[in-house]
Amino acid sequence: MNVIIVGAGNIGSSLAHKLSDLGHRITVIERNSKAVSLFTRDRVESDAITVIHRDGSTGSGMLECGISNSDVFIAATGKDSLNGLAAQRAKTIFGVEKVMAVVTDESARILYDSLGISTINKANLASDRLVSILSEEV
Amino acid sequence: MYLIIVGGGKVGAPLASSLINEGHEVFVLDHNPDVVASLQRELGMIATIGEATSVRALKDAGAARAGALIATTDSDEDNLAACQLARTNFDVARTMAIAHSPENSELFDRSGVDIVVSATDLVLANLTTALPAHPLIRLMPVADRSQELVAIKLPSAGTAIGRTLSELRLPYGTKIVLIITAAGQSKPLDSEAIIEAEDEIIALSPANSTAELWELLTELR
Repeated sequence: MNVIIVGAGNIGSSLAHKLSDLGHRITVIERNSKAVSLFTRDRVESDAITVIHRDGSTGSGMLECGISNSDVFIAATGKDSLNGLAAQRAKTIFGVEKVMAVVTDESARILYDSLGISTINKANLASDRLVSILSEEV
Repeated sequence: MYLIIVGGGKVGAPLASSLINEGHEVFVLDHNPDVVASLQRELGMIATIGEATSVRALKDAGAARAGALIATTDSDEDNLAACQLARTNFDVARTMAIAHSPENSELFDRSGVDIVVSATDLVLANLTTALPAHPLIRLMPVADRSQELVAIKLPSAGTAIGRTLSELRLPYGTKIVLIITAAGQSKPLDSEAIIEAEDEIIALSPANSTAELWELLTELR
């Protein structure tokens, strides 16, 4: 699959490597020009991961990532509202089928559910995991 | 009506003040403590510190009883999120937002924001009015942007000059709303009205035929 990831922070960069391990073609778009150093060299040189220095929430940035041929769009910047806007542009303007957004505010979930955008909440995932570890041990 | 304004900056602050003067109950949410302090000094206790995109902050601002939310921050993504959260979480009946980037106007429209004010369009409309050429000015989008209200100033050596309205082959769906003469008078809009040099034509135009209308009215002899 062709996957676009907006934002090369902790989540964006590790996600890119993991999805690339599974054989997907990844395009990461990140405003910060130093972001390319976060990615394993051979992945970038073999074009398994392409890094683009642009604002990934804009239509022109998305077009440069080849959004018309992408199967999955993941908005993973550090800002909830920017992820929401980028995800909605990918879905409503470009018609990407699978669109996901990283959010930190759980109460925004109703909104994104109603828009057909899957949300990933870091804090929730971490606490769920801790609860399951504890309940196995106790 | 109880109105929430998100963003108390260059747009939000004067807006709050004028809405209060019109008798509305207004509350402003801004993340900047300095902005909030200044609003409180000038307008009373009508502002609080809070993130535009926080459901908790919107709740504390009384979103559940607000008749409308107006998002005026500098950040398009925050304006969109504030409007959408107000709608989905608090059933706010009417949401309005400023879109700074032109490409976001359409996205806001399609994402359910009721009234979208495009900052770029406003600036362009004002700047082009001041230009001496015979420009096309987009005054206002109408009916989900499928149509627009436009103003076109006719050149003095145009092929349209001297013709009657009925002689002009206007694009399908175009409706002339008003003709203003160089002297600033409005012209009766019967089919025998003659187009004169320097007339300004205000028309309601299907968005996809505005370019054709502009060419027709400004074509030079």
